[in-house]
Amino acid sequence: MSDIAVHVDQVSKSFRMYKERNQTLKSTIMRGRRSVHEDFWALKDISFDVPAGSTFGLIGSNGSGKSTLLKCLAKIYFPNKGSITHRGKLAAMLEVGSGFHHELSGRENIYLNGSILGMSKKEISSKLDEIVEFSGVEQFIDQPVKNYSSGMYVRLGFAIAINVEPDILVVDEVLAVGDAEFQERCFKKFQDFKKAGRTVILVSHDMGSISTMCDHAAWLRQGELVQVGPAKSTIKAYLDSLSLESD
Amino acid sequence: MSYLSELVPSRELLVNLTMREIRGKYKRTVFGQLWSLVNPLALMLIYTFVFGFIFRITPAPGDPSGLNFFALWLLCGLLPWIFFANALNAGVNSLVGNAGLIQKVYFNRIVLPLSQVGSAAYNWSFEMLVLVVALSIVGGFVLPWLPFVVIVMALLAIFGAGVAFILAVANVHFRDTQWFISIILQMWIYLTPIIYPASMVTEQSDRVGGLFGSPVTLEFIYTLNPMYHFVEIFRNLLYDNRWPDSSSWLICLAWAIGAFVVGAWIFRRNEKTLAEVL
Repeated sequence: MSDIAVHVDQVSKSFRMYKERNQTLKSTIMRGRRSVHEDFWALKDISFDVPAGSTFGLIGSNGSGKSTLLKCLAKIYFPNKGSITHRGKLAAMLEVGSGFHHELSGRENIYLNGSILGMSKKEISSKLDEIVEFSGVEQFIDQPVKNYSSGMYVRLGFAIAINVEPDILVVDEVLAVGDAEFQERCFKKFQDFKKAGRTVILVSHDMGSISTMCDHAAWLRQGELVQVGPAKSTIKAYLDSLSLESD
Repeated sequence: MSYLSELVPSRELLVNLTMREIRGKYKRTVFGQLWSLVNPLALMLIYTFVFGFIFRITPAPGDPSGLNFFALWLLCGLLPWIFFANALNAGVNSLVGNAGLIQKVYFNRIVLPLSQVGSAAYNWSFEMLVLVVALSIVGGFVLPWLPFVVIVMALLAIFGAGVAFILAVANVHFRDTQWFISIILQMWIYLTPIIYPASMVTEQSDRVGGLFGSPVTLEFIYTLNPMYHFVEIFRNLLYDNRWPDSSSWLICLAWAIGAFVVGAWIFRRNEKTLAEVL
C-alpha cells in the first residue's frame, strides 16, 4: 500500500448542539449538570484512500462536512470513530496568516508562522528568500504586518505555508487569494508539487479549478460519502445532481 | 513522562511564541523593556510607604546578612509574587486568546500557556537581576547563593506553569475563571508573608492557640500555602544570605512537580477537544 498517501477509515464525527449551553459557573451550578445537548453527526462513516502524488478534491454543497473532514485531516478535530492515517509530513493551510502578530515585521512573522507550521529555524532561513520573493512583498518585509494591505497579508501567509513543503498538503478555499497574477503563481506551485510526487487535498466550490487541478475527487452530501474516484466522473455526478434538484 | 519528550520538537515554536509575547508587548513604547520594571517599583513604593512607614511593620534584620531595609526585604518576596501573578493572569487567557490559531493550525497546544509563563519569567529575570545588584550595593553577600536562587526560580516557574495549564483549560470551559483568578490572586498576596513577616502570624497563632479546641493552629493552616514556602526560600537566600530549611526545599519541590504533573495531565486530556469547545 505504498501508493496510498492518506487512508481514511470509517471516520465519523459528531458535534454537540447545545440547547442550553453552560459557559458560566453560575449556570452550571444553578442547573446542577453540565448542559443539555444533542449530537449532530457532521461526518458519517467516511472511508476512502488518497493515492500518493494525486491532487484530491473534496466537493459538495455547503454544510456537507467538507471542512470538518479537512479539519480532521489536519488534526484540529479528532474523529469520534474511525481513524485517519497518513504517510509522510502533513501540513494544513486552512487559513493563511493565522498567528501573525500585527506589531511584528514581515520577516519576524515568517519565522513565527513557519515554526507554528512545523518548520525549523534552519529550514525557514534557507527558504526565506524564496518565501519573500513568492509573496512579492520584498519592499515591505521589515515593516510591521499591520501596515500591509489585505492582499499582501494573505500572500505572505500563503507563501510561508506553501514553502513548508510537506508530503501532503491540505488546503481549504485559500486559492481565491490575491490577484490573477498571484493565483497563476499558486497554480504553478501546485503543479510543481505534483511533479515532485507530493499529494494535495483541497476543498473548493469552484468546479472549474477543481476539474483543472484534481485527478481524484470525493463528493460529500450531508456528512455522507456519495462517490469517490476519478475527478471528472465525480464532478459530473455532483453537477448532474445539482441540476436535477433545480429542475 | 513521554509527554515532556513530545515538547522537544516544539521547543523552537515555544521560543518563537515567547519572543512574540516579549517583543510584541512593549512595541511602540518609548521606554520599551523598562516598563516591566515600573510595575514592581510602583508597588514597592506604595507598600513601603503604607506598611513600612505608616503601619511601621519592621521585619527582623537579615540574619546573618544584617541587612535592614524594608523596601529590599519587601522586594525579595514581591518580585517572585509578581511573576507568579503575571504568569497565571496571562496563562489563563493563553488558549482563549489564541482561539483563532487553535482552530486553524495543528501544533502542540501546551506551548501556548508555556510561552506566557516564559515571557513572564523573562521579565522577572530582569527584575531579579536589578534586585541582586541593589542588595549587593547595600552590603548583601548574595553572589554565592545565586545558583540556588536560580533553582528556586525554576521551581516556582514549574509550579506556575502547572497551575497555568489547569487555569487555561478551565477558562476554555468557563470564562469565569479569568475573573475568578484575579480576585483569588488579590487575596492570596495578603495570605502570603510578602508585605509583613511570617513571624507576625506566628505571634497571633500562639496567642489564639488551637482552633476550636483542636490541635490545629492558625500557623499550620497558614503554612499550607505553597507560596509561603517559596517566599521563605527567596528571603533566606537573597535577604538573609543563609541556607533555607531543607523541609522548605522539599515542600517547594513537591508542589512544583505535583502541580506540573497534574496540570499537564489535565491539559493533555482536554487538548484534543479545544478546537471544538472554543
